[in-house]
Amino acid sequence: MQNMSTALGGFNVGRLANSKPQRTPGRASQAVIGDLADSDEKLLIAVGNRQDTQAFNVLFSRFATRIYAMGMKLTRNEQLSHDLVQEAMLTVWQKAPLYDLDRGNAQSWIFTLTRNRCFDMLRKIKRQPSCVSADDIWPQDGDGEHHLVHEEQGSLEVEVALIERHYTSLPAPQQAVIEQIYMLDRTHEEAAAELMIPLGTLKSRLRLGVGKLKQLIGIEK
Amino acid sequence: MTTDVNYHPAAELLEAFAQGTLSTGLSVALSAHIELCASCREESRRLESTSALAWSQAPAQERNEDVTEDFSALIASIVKQPQLKELSSEQFSVDKIHMLEHSVTLPRALAKVASEGLVWKKLAGGINQAQVTLDDETQCEFIYMKPGSQVPVHKHQGNEITLVLDGSFSDELGHYQAADFVVRNQAHLHRPASEEGCLCFAVLDGPLAFTKGLARLFNPINRYRFRRATSQ
Ligand SMILES: [Zn+2]
Repeated sequence: MQNMSTALGGFNVGRLANSKPQRTPGRASQAVIGDLADSDEKLLIAVGNRQDTQAFNVLFSRFATRIYAMGMKLTRNEQLSHDLVQEAMLTVWQKAPLYDLDRGNAQSWIFTLTRNRCFDMLRKIKRQPSCVSADDIWPQDGDGEHHLVHEEQGSLEVEVALIERHYTSLPAPQQAVIEQIYMLDRTHEEAAAELMIPLGTLKSRLRLGVGKLKQLIGIEK
Repeated sequence: MTTDVNYHPAAELLEAFAQGTLSTGLSVALSAHIELCASCREESRRLESTSALAWSQAPAQERNEDVTEDFSALIASIVKQPQLKELSSEQFSVDKIHMLEHSVTLPRALAKVASEGLVWKKLAGGINQAQVTLDDETQCEFIYMKPGSQVPVHKHQGNEITLVLDGSFSDELGHYQAADFVVRNQAHLHRPASEEGCLCFAVLDGPLAFTKGLARLFNPINRYRFRRATSQ
C-alpha cells in the first residue's frame, strides 16, 4: 500500500517538473497546494466526489485533443474519432467516482478507458460478435470487490473495541479511512471529501484495511 | 496464479495489446495469458502506464482547432448523466469448460467467449475442436486433445498462437503446459502430441490477413507451429 503523502508528493514532483512558473520561496507550501489543486487527479476527484462541472470542463479541454489523437491512430477516421471524444468523456464523467488513485494516475485511467471505448466502438462498426467486450479483455483488478464493503459493515461494528486496539498497525491511509467510517461514522461520500481522495480509492483502502484487521483480530479463517 | 510459465508473448505483442491495436482474437488470447502469468501481468501494467505517459505527453497536433471547437453543449449534456457509484460486475454463468470427465476454470475473457456455448467437432487423431467467431481477421478455436492423441503431420499457412489452458502437449521443440503461450509460424512440418490430454485456445490468422508489421511481432525463434487439424 502506497503511503498517501508519497503519492501526492509524486504528483507534485511531476507538476513542478512541468516548468510551471516559479513561486516565491516563502510561499513554497502554497505553491504545492496550488499545483495540486489543478492536477488531473484533483480534477477527477472533484468530478467524482462533488459532480464538479467546472472541473469536468477543464478535464475535457485537457483530454479532448489527446482522445481525438488516439482515435485517429486506432480508427483512422475523423468522425469515429469525434465520437470517441464524446464516448470517452462521457465515461470519464460516469466512472469518476470509481477512480482509484492507488492504482494509477489520472492519465493512465483515462488512457485505458479511452482505449477500451475505442475497442468496443470498432467492434461495433465492424459488426463483430458482441460476446466479449473491452472490459472483459482488460478487467480492472478491483472490479466487483467494492460490493463487499457494504455487506461486511454490520458484523464489523460489533468489533469496534478490538479494531481500535489493532488498527494502529495498519498503513496510515487505511487507518484514516477506517477512522472516518467506523469511528466518526461518516458516509463514504463524506469521508472521501474529508480526505480529498476519490470514492474508488476510499472503498479500496477500506476493503484492504478491513481485510487486514480481520486477519489481525482473527475473524477470518 | 500459475507461476511456472515458460513461453510468453514477445514484448512487442504485449505493447500492442496495451495500446489496443490487436485484433479481438489476439487480444482475448493475450488477456487470458496475462491473467495466468504474473510476470506478463506486471509487464503489461508497466507498458500500459508508459503508453499512457507517452500519450499524455505527445505534442498537440495541428488539428487542435478542430477539436477545441465549442463543446459546451456536449459537456452540458454529459454532466446531466447519472454517475456510477458501484461497478455493475457482470457475473458469468459459465466460467468452466467441461471436457469429458473433468472441467477447467477459464480466464475471464475466455469464460465470456465460452459462455454462449461451444459446439465441439470431432476431428481425426483424437482431436476435438470448437470454433468461436471473434472478428474477421482471425480464426479462433478451443482445441481439446484427448490423452494419447497425436496430430497427423501437417503444413499450415499463416501464424498461430496456442495458449495452453489445461494439461500439456509436446512437439519437436518443447513441452507446453498450462498458461504457456506458443507461437508458430507458417509452413513447417509439425507433430504435436499429448500424452495426458490438453485443452488449448488457438488463434490463427488467414494466410493473407497478417501485414508485415504484425507478422514482425511474433517471436521469430518459435518457427514451428501447432498446426490446424482440419485439412488434409
Ligand atoms: Zn507470460
